[in-house]
Amino acid sequence: MKHFFDSNRGVFSAAILALAALLATAPAMANGPIGEHVNHLQSHLGDYTKDVEWFIGKVDAIVTTYDSKNSKAVKTDELIDHWEEVDFHAAIETNFVPLYAKIWQGIYGVKQSIDDKQPIAEVRKQQVTLEQALWQSLGAIKLAAQFQERGLLDAIKTTSSTPTTLTGALDEVKHELDRVMAKYAEKLADEAIKIVHDTYLNLFEGVEGALIEQDADLVVALEKDFNVTLPKAIEDGKSTEQVEQVVNDMKAKLNHAKDLLQAAKKEKKDVF
Amino acid sequence: MQRRRFIQALATAGAFASLPLASLQSLAAEAVSQAVSVNDLPALEGKLTLYLGRGEGGLYENVLQAIRDRNPKLNLSVRRGPTAALANTLIAEAKAGVQGADVFWAVDSGAIGLVTDAGLAQPLPKDLTGQLKSDFQYPSWSPVTGRIRTLPYNPDNVSLKQIPSDIMELPDSDLAIGWAPAYASFQSFITAMRLLEGEKATVDWLRRMKQRAKSYAGELGVVMAVERGEVDLGLANHYYTLRLKSGKPDARVELAFTKADAGCLVNASGVLALSEGELPINFIRYLLTREVQSYLASEAYEIPLVKGVELPEGLPSFEHISPPDMDLTRLADLRPTLALLRNVGIL
Repeated sequence: MKHFFDSNRGVFSAAILALAALLATAPAMANGPIGEHVNHLQSHLGDYTKDVEWFIGKVDAIVTTYDSKNSKAVKTDELIDHWEEVDFHAAIETNFVPLYAKIWQGIYGVKQSIDDKQPIAEVRKQQVTLEQALWQSLGAIKLAAQFQERGLLDAIKTTSSTPTTLTGALDEVKHELDRVMAKYAEKLADEAIKIVHDTYLNLFEGVEGALIEQDADLVVALEKDFNVTLPKAIEDGKSTEQVEQVVNDMKAKLNHAKDLLQAAKKEKKDVF
Repeated sequence: MQRRRFIQALATAGAFASLPLASLQSLAAEAVSQAVSVNDLPALEGKLTLYLGRGEGGLYENVLQAIRDRNPKLNLSVRRGPTAALANTLIAEAKAGVQGADVFWAVDSGAIGLVTDAGLAQPLPKDLTGQLKSDFQYPSWSPVTGRIRTLPYNPDNVSLKQIPSDIMELPDSDLAIGWAPAYASFQSFITAMRLLEGEKATVDWLRRMKQRAKSYAGELGVVMAVERGEVDLGLANHYYTLRLKSGKPDARVELAFTKADAGCLVNASGVLALSEGELPINFIRYLLTREVQSYLASEAYEIPLVKGVELPEGLPSFEHISPPDMDLTRLADLRPTLALLRNVGIL
């Protein structure tokens, strides 16, 4: 496995860089109950490593059974059960949602290829993709643990806090879009759409009044993204790559919005 | 037509919206009075806990920071959340014998009504309430700024003559209409209609409107749909159109107002004191200063409700608008409205 890790160092490094950018603002969230272990990552790294190795072993056993027998010989729902069983699940979900989504994509990649009775080569290809996402995620958690030890990582909370600035709200919107991707990758389309709707009403709607003064066309485009393009892509069952493209386009617009609002803030008059 | 004169004034101004109140003549007279300056207020000292409903675009946060900066001996703690949820929290805390907040600043007066009805608000001194325009003076809470319901319309699709001045006649028009039923301000508007016109008339209005209305998630979305001609007319608070006009001066949207009905309801954000003493009261005084009122008017297009503070730039005089006469705290109970909207199949 070390060989696999080394051969994917570039991808891993990119993930770490992305994580480093997110750590400062990583907000709290979780799908179901999360353990206090997420606030003590360093002391649980050994457990997380075992979780990843155990889960990869379980996946391999299912794929091997499929290879030696047939699809009826395996219960692919166990892929999901096994993943939800490990503590590492909550650790990556609360720290780096984009990789969390990739893990779910990988799990369903393996599951779907078996359920569709794909050739073993295709199943193995999906398995490698899943393993790659898992090792990337473990690396990300190790870096997060370092940040946490140095006090640079906020404690994971079980309730979300309200952003107090416009730009803070936009950061939160982007994080919620990551959650949308995660839920879509988990095949929870209704939940993903609900997050889109709630994010619009509770976060973006509070920003767009100020944003429309800066760039009305940008608000029009984001309004359409929130209320039509993204929900429709999810409802239509587009591929995760297609939905991710919509999300990435929205994030680019949100980054532009943030720049505009930061520039406008300098022009605002003082209260007193 | 008064409304037509008003719209002509708006067209001249280039951008617009307008103001509240039942007795507008008295308002005009009051406008010559002077609001208090922050320079005339005592320094705030001590510990104060504020429950803050979500504000408009973070500007309330700027106000709080400015108050903090000006009062270094003030230890201000802020709990933020949806306004209705905070109101319910206050009531629950009171039942449990706990007082979590000294001051509650809510974005809508309905939530204020929940708290005042529960008897939790402290009386306000008359010299404080006297700073407010006469129709906005209440004994135990103070409006901060206002917003008015409007009918934004696309002048390429519809002329002002085609827009009824009675909100109850709107379903009889042949206009394509946009609305945002899930939006809190829309629900307050329906609550006002229920109180003014009765439940039966409101249900009938909703059923007929449903036939021709297109739903949007928020009211800025409604205004933008009007602007691009997707619908002829919408139902929305005034500031969305003003802000769109600010960012896009040639936007194809104008404002119309109904007369003396829920269609031109003026709602307000509000503040109240929950604990006794001078500190909560003096904190409220800061929100009513000329500086804060002017700031919220110029930066958020909100309507100042303290005497002698100018309206946001581009707004016409409110002498030509006739909002309904209504105690805003009566908008507190949304439950019958939500039930009604669900029964009609709109929510």
